[in-house]
Amino acid sequence: MNLQRKIQQLLKPLSQPLLAVLIGLFTGALAIALIGESVIDTYKVMWDGAFGNFYFLTATLARATPIILVGLGLAIAFRAGVFNMGAEGQMVLGAVCAALASLYVPGSGFVKLLSAFLAGFLAGGLWSLLAGWMEVKYKVQLLISTLLLNYVAVLFAGYLVAEPFQDKSGSAALAQTPMIDQAVWLPKLFTGMSVHMGFVIAVIGAVVLYVALQFTSSGYEVRMLGKNPFFAEYGGINKSKVLLFSMFFSGGISGLAGTVEVLGSQYRYVEGALTVPGYAWTGLMAALLANSNPLGTAAAAILLAALQTGAMGMERNTEVPLEIASVIQGVLILFVTAKFTLNWWKVKKKASDINGAV
Amino acid sequence: MTYRLEMKEMTKKYGDFLANDGISIQLKKGEVLAIVGENGAGKTTLMRMLYGLEQPTSGEIKLNGDQTQFYGPRDSIKQGIGMVHQHFMLFSDFTVTENIVIGHEPINNGFFNRKLASEQVQKLSDQYKIPVNPSKKAGDCSVGEQQRIEILKVLYQGAEIIILDEPTAVLTPFEVDELLKTIRYLADQGKSIILITHKLPEVMKVADHVTVLRNGRVTGNVKKVDTSIDELAKMMVGRELQQLSERNQLKGEPLLEVEAISIKGKGSKPVLDQLSLTVHRGEIVGIAGVSGNGQSELIQAITGLTSVDQGDIRLGSTNLTGKSVAFRRNEGLAHIPEDRFLWGAAKEATIEETGMMGYYNKKAFNKYSFILKKSFRGVVKGWIDRFEIKAKSLDDKSGNLSGGNLQKLIVARELGFETDFLIAAEPTRGVDIGAMEYIHEAILEKRNRGDGILLVSSELSEILLLSDRIAVMFEGKIVDILNRRDATEERLSVLMAGGKEDESSTKNTTTA
Repeated sequence: MNLQRKIQQLLKPLSQPLLAVLIGLFTGALAIALIGESVIDTYKVMWDGAFGNFYFLTATLARATPIILVGLGLAIAFRAGVFNMGAEGQMVLGAVCAALASLYVPGSGFVKLLSAFLAGFLAGGLWSLLAGWMEVKYKVQLLISTLLLNYVAVLFAGYLVAEPFQDKSGSAALAQTPMIDQAVWLPKLFTGMSVHMGFVIAVIGAVVLYVALQFTSSGYEVRMLGKNPFFAEYGGINKSKVLLFSMFFSGGISGLAGTVEVLGSQYRYVEGALTVPGYAWTGLMAALLANSNPLGTAAAAILLAALQTGAMGMERNTEVPLEIASVIQGVLILFVTAKFTLNWWKVKKKASDINGAV
Repeated sequence: MTYRLEMKEMTKKYGDFLANDGISIQLKKGEVLAIVGENGAGKTTLMRMLYGLEQPTSGEIKLNGDQTQFYGPRDSIKQGIGMVHQHFMLFSDFTVTENIVIGHEPINNGFFNRKLASEQVQKLSDQYKIPVNPSKKAGDCSVGEQQRIEILKVLYQGAEIIILDEPTAVLTPFEVDELLKTIRYLADQGKSIILITHKLPEVMKVADHVTVLRNGRVTGNVKKVDTSIDELAKMMVGRELQQLSERNQLKGEPLLEVEAISIKGKGSKPVLDQLSLTVHRGEIVGIAGVSGNGQSELIQAITGLTSVDQGDIRLGSTNLTGKSVAFRRNEGLAHIPEDRFLWGAAKEATIEETGMMGYYNKKAFNKYSFILKKSFRGVVKGWIDRFEIKAKSLDDKSGNLSGGNLQKLIVARELGFETDFLIAAEPTRGVDIGAMEYIHEAILEKRNRGDGILLVSSELSEILLLSDRIAVMFEGKIVDILNRRDATEERLSVLMAGGKEDESSTKNTTTA
């Protein structure tokens, strides 16, 4: 009885995202069938493209790395009940500052590495804090300010690498910084494979964040603020302080997502390298899909990354276009944001609730 | 004769739990039947079966003598049963008319005939003497008006049997009187009413017949004229009601001192206007007043949830003015909030988490900023035992607790701080008799230990029962303070309405 309940408790938060994923895959299947391809073969190719061999598996994990970190950052904000939509800008600023720090801070490779991380975290964090401060001080809606600050950040980073800090060494004048010193590179986890140390950092980050949210006083304050701000205030929690704190960490971790991409994969800041693959928005989806549970966010991020790498494999090997992945993702977004499944679940639950009695 | 509605031997089982055990009720045309019982007695389950939200395990329902079954609310509505829920289900951006006709809109060539709808609503409102403004937005209506909208909605759908679930819980005393009149009038017009409540004075005022439930069984089935409040209470609780403990005389030195505080507010009149008040040790000061006269703002000003424009608040020798909520709580202030769902808890948080507020950063439960959940669980379990809180598990969501049980949890939490000073705002709103006794006893006990309590309540009976002194608030001011022995419901009502008391009785007031 007790064990059964425990299992139910564990499974319950999973049921909603799983259902959403299943419906997403089902819709994808419909689309594939419409094109006239075999659904099972296509999904098999997709699976192989994501997890088929060690190379593809590590490619998926490499892609998942920034998505996990962005998702974790957003999870903090969501847990505190604020809608930080500015992960993209925070990530990009983090990336460009990390690249610049590793290029221009004097000292050993280790010093450069540390300062790159610090710069990446601070840049993302302070950028996010700016939006938080405007909300606390002037009641500027966070949802909107963070969204708009994305443009400022991305364009500013683009300017930095197109003008003052552009790499002039090569023949083609691309909008990118010079390459950073090899001593600052994050090591690859396996030679020849793209997954790097950043993935380990992301996974550790997920565990640490889970523990911090679940078991510490600050985590309690963040969660209560998100669940009922009036209750939090009534109980003596300093609303503004916790909000600013959450925004700072939220942006900081998004900044780290940019940092590990620069230090572990690109080795320079390349304009568009972080925005074109849509890491920030995929991270947002991961956090929503997992209902901001840090461990779940990490899992969802890997799943979404697999969907993307799988779709690339599918496009290489079949006639089905890459956009199928977008179809599936689109359905996922629809279901997750509408919380359709959750409400459905609640109605079900209510009907069978014993304590319905007043 | 045949009854309009008869439920026979209704039984509902959830697993091993018997929520309803062979309950029978009868309802005649034009009759008001009150179903009373404490939280968890099975009232709601019974009504859910009648409204088609639950299927009975066994039992039969007869409507006008014919056996019938309900497969859902739509089905019940079709057969002439309407329900006014405790929590209103209105669209706040829709007008009163739109809310009433929703789902049954008069149609003209496929379009919603707004004009006709409005006329129909007006006619219905006149016919049953239930005043509403058809073109007003529901969100702009007072709670009493919103309830009238719900009643009209049910009438519009053609209900002959109207179920009212705890209808007075959210109303002011004046609105309660109006509602009771409406109920009586509807019955006189031939409607049958089922009133679910645990407020016995209202039952005695309006019901024809009373069915008492306890633990899923019928423990009393009486005509109103043959019974009394005491008898009903006994049937409900299953024992004699307790007498409150003696109050020892120990009014000590001043504890909370509020000095000429003002809050400007948005309108032309200040929300709080140069208000002064003192609560001594070993004293309960009650605040009486029609809601909306600044009581909420006074509580928020003292607890630090809102700032004052003028004046000082001191607790003992500490000046609290301008200090944070956390500071005030650390200085020895606990607070049972007037709205348990808004301020007192987070519905989505677990029972443990709701209980933890204010404790999680105390030394005993916090090490290196990690919360010592294990030690804390013991504390919550203690509360659950002492206050007999019915909870499935500490990990269950607070929102799944019934209102009364959640209130008990909040009261236990705030008493648990063992502070010198407590604000108890509506401490027993929506709570059953058993829980009410518990909470009253606990508050009195705290007073007898020498702590100071500020009690704010819209229930005059509660104020009169507990307070040593009673301050009456009107339009942001305290218009008078009466001593316990001088206060009567009549005198307070006059003061609450803003009427000055006549010379004969005012001179025995104490200074604040």
